[in-house]
Amino acid sequence: MSLRRDAARRRLIGILSLLVATVIFILPFLYIVLMAVKTPQEAALFLFSWPAQWRAWQNLVEVVQTRNYMLLLAYFNSTVITVGAVTLLVIFGAMVGYVLQRRRSRWNRVIYVFLLIGLMVPPAVVPTIWVLQNLGLFKTIHGMILIQVAYGLSFAVLLYRSFIASIPRSLDEAAIIDGARPWQVFFRVILPLLKPVTVTLIVVQAVAIFNDFTNPLYYLPGRENVTVQITLFNFQSQFQSQYNLLFMNILLITIPPLLVFVFFNRQIVAGMTAGGVKG
Amino acid sequence: MATRRPSPYPYWFVLPAAVVFVTLFLVPTVASFWFSLTRWDLFEAEFIGLDNYRQFFREPFLVQGLVNTLIYAVVTSGAKSVLGLLLAVLLTSGIWFQGFLRSVVFFPVLVSTIGVGIAFAALMHPTRGAINLALATIGIEGPAWLSDPALALYSVALIDIWKGVGLATLIYIAGLAAISPDYYEAARIDGATRWQQFWRVTVPLVRPATVTVVTLSLIGGLRSFDIIWATTRGGPGFASDVLASVIYKQYQAGFYGLSTAGNVILFLLIAAIVLPMTWWFSKREVDL
Amino acid sequence: MSSVVLRNLTKSFGAVEVIKGIDLTVEPGEFCVFVGPSGCGKSTLLRLIAGLEDASSGRIEIAGQDVTDAEPSARGIAMVFQNYALYPHLTVRENIGFGLSLARRPKAEIRARVEAAAEALQLSHLLDRKPKELSGGQRQRVAIGRAIVRDPKVFLFDEPLSNLDAALRAQMRIELSDLHRKLGATMIYVTHDQVEAMTMADKIVVLNAGRIEQIGSPMELYDRPASPFVAGFIGSPKMNLYEGRAVGEPCGTYGIRPEHLRLTGDAPRWRGRVRHVERLGADTVIHLDVPTLGAMVLRSEGDHSPAIGAEVGVSPLPGREHRFP
Repeated sequence: MSLRRDAARRRLIGILSLLVATVIFILPFLYIVLMAVKTPQEAALFLFSWPAQWRAWQNLVEVVQTRNYMLLLAYFNSTVITVGAVTLLVIFGAMVGYVLQRRRSRWNRVIYVFLLIGLMVPPAVVPTIWVLQNLGLFKTIHGMILIQVAYGLSFAVLLYRSFIASIPRSLDEAAIIDGARPWQVFFRVILPLLKPVTVTLIVVQAVAIFNDFTNPLYYLPGRENVTVQITLFNFQSQFQSQYNLLFMNILLITIPPLLVFVFFNRQIVAGMTAGGVKG
Repeated sequence: MATRRPSPYPYWFVLPAAVVFVTLFLVPTVASFWFSLTRWDLFEAEFIGLDNYRQFFREPFLVQGLVNTLIYAVVTSGAKSVLGLLLAVLLTSGIWFQGFLRSVVFFPVLVSTIGVGIAFAALMHPTRGAINLALATIGIEGPAWLSDPALALYSVALIDIWKGVGLATLIYIAGLAAISPDYYEAARIDGATRWQQFWRVTVPLVRPATVTVVTLSLIGGLRSFDIIWATTRGGPGFASDVLASVIYKQYQAGFYGLSTAGNVILFLLIAAIVLPMTWWFSKREVDL
Repeated sequence: MSSVVLRNLTKSFGAVEVIKGIDLTVEPGEFCVFVGPSGCGKSTLLRLIAGLEDASSGRIEIAGQDVTDAEPSARGIAMVFQNYALYPHLTVRENIGFGLSLARRPKAEIRARVEAAAEALQLSHLLDRKPKELSGGQRQRVAIGRAIVRDPKVFLFDEPLSNLDAALRAQMRIELSDLHRKLGATMIYVTHDQVEAMTMADKIVVLNAGRIEQIGSPMELYDRPASPFVAGFIGSPKMNLYEGRAVGEPCGTYGIRPEHLRLTGDAPRWRGRVRHVERLGADTVIHLDVPTLGAMVLRSEGDHSPAIGAEVGVSPLPGREHRFP
């Protein structure tokens, strides 16, 4: 009897929660979609209303063509930065996490403190620009990649370190006895075993770097260096009278994270919680 | 004699990462302490002692930025922790649509902050925004959200909470999953009500997740920049300026020394809040 | 077939000396078992021979060559680990051939040698599986296959059977002994299980707190233990050990194995009260309380069922008593 009442309660609370969540979390996204397909005049009213006239395709084409296909360039730049930085983060992070976990020494404490600083401390902006300028990396895509590596490294190392702790050391030793050099032990035995956590790291960091606004704003000025988040910022003033295009732009740059979310939900959840708990 | 053969875990594995981290993160961080004591145009730095700091604490709008940073961090972090825990309890209680609801709550975490900011700026428009129009239909006159100086900071915080509560919920769900059901069964046999179970079992045992959520969201709140920049740019006036936006504005204006002083202040603020907190949390951990 | 010689070998971790000067010769083709309680240093000693740990001082020779400072892969050894240490992402074939592929041997040679090793261990039908698709016993065989394919001078085993259940363990003991006979290779085997030591070893080395307590064949250790420690460690149930004074003997410690005690009504040496009886069918283990001595265990062939609380008389078999200084 109490079981049946419990089931009824779970259904009722579920339906109520769904209603509330729809209003709070889903309607804002619906609003973005609706705004994106309206005419400029209608979008300028800001109303939460069904479009009188659907202009999805036309708006899409216009956004893409704006400022000589700036959005495509931005997509290209963001992709290069994301792929480059994530690749380096995986390799560097795993190598450091591996040595840090396997080799006990007094340096470990020092490295650990630096990792925590990297996790907590906001980067010193202008001095970083000064360093980048002296190295000839300011306003360059590869400079941006290295910045993202430096800022994401702590998370990557801590994530890998805790995972590597679960790989028995006897695997390394078996490989050593089989005649593997240190880099062979790492690349042929350890790295392949890190696949689950590597997928997690790739997904989480790719989303973070793709969505990054602040760092490109500081370190990557210049038209030819534009990234997707900066396009929004640039278009905000230009599209003063064309909110439909601004929202179409939002829609377009939300698609990659949405795809990632659909396909890698599980890995994201694993990474966010693991990283959080370890951090 | 002790180390005749090289270790199978050579330190050169650390080298590439260390070079990038030290050059692009540690060197600027250390250099910031020096440059904050100078008048600086990126090429020449003239030592002026603590003048930048004096100026910082003399300008009312800069001081307000500091205060706003604290308010913003405390409000967002507090709300995310409380709402995150409640949502996590709700979304682990076996209600209908549970999996779908978890996804819905989490998805905003992955979306572009700038995009969210622009969308909410439109939704929060005082006269034409959907929020106030909806409130009007039930007879409430909505506030001016982002354009009311007294309210702007809190409105931005609200958007931040909307976007970030999913991560807190996720961490709490993982924390709740780690609590053995035995405790709840024992509590029920002892005659505890649901309310008592929540306060006497859930809250104390989910502590590790609370530590994580509070620490992460506090650090995030103190460093917050893009959501503020996308919605108010620190305005109206300086009403919603925080340290991070002050740093950017001073940088744009070419006051590199002053901007860097702001950075150092933010650094010290985070250290002053987070370090004692971590220490206190870890001390309590031992007591348990 | 190669010998292994250790000369005054020591190993310290920080300030803790784990191996305190070991001198030992393992003859070519010998099956040598290191046995001792956990923490006695037996695994460390094996890892020193393998080269997985650096010796603090002393010398290690394999086949007459000083390998003290040599890389593990250059020592001509192969090792089987307690958890097997199979590479989870590789198939059985790749696991066995990993070392050969690192050494860049031709593909055809790797194939032939892997298949020969698999054949010898009845693994041929499993070559394309991953370790997680194998049973415990099969994993154990793959680990041995990985050792065989290296064609080593010396095989090292680190408690290889401790993750198996009792029945499989008994079977693997026989298989390992067969393997030793077939290959005729030198084998060093670490275990804390004295049954494994007794059943497989040509030579047992009993270790205690980083030192060698006694070296000998299984029966030498059983018949003539050099110290109460060895006496208590070899044989099951454990030897009864008493202070010499308590039993009226002119020695420090007096010992008598449970199987060397007899129940007797005729002028018994001791009288005790039956506290507990374990009837195993083939034999019976009787636990007694003996006034002034305390607990005493007696093992007797066949099935008996003395009443709990009954008083019985006990005498040692002549010539089977042990007296330690």
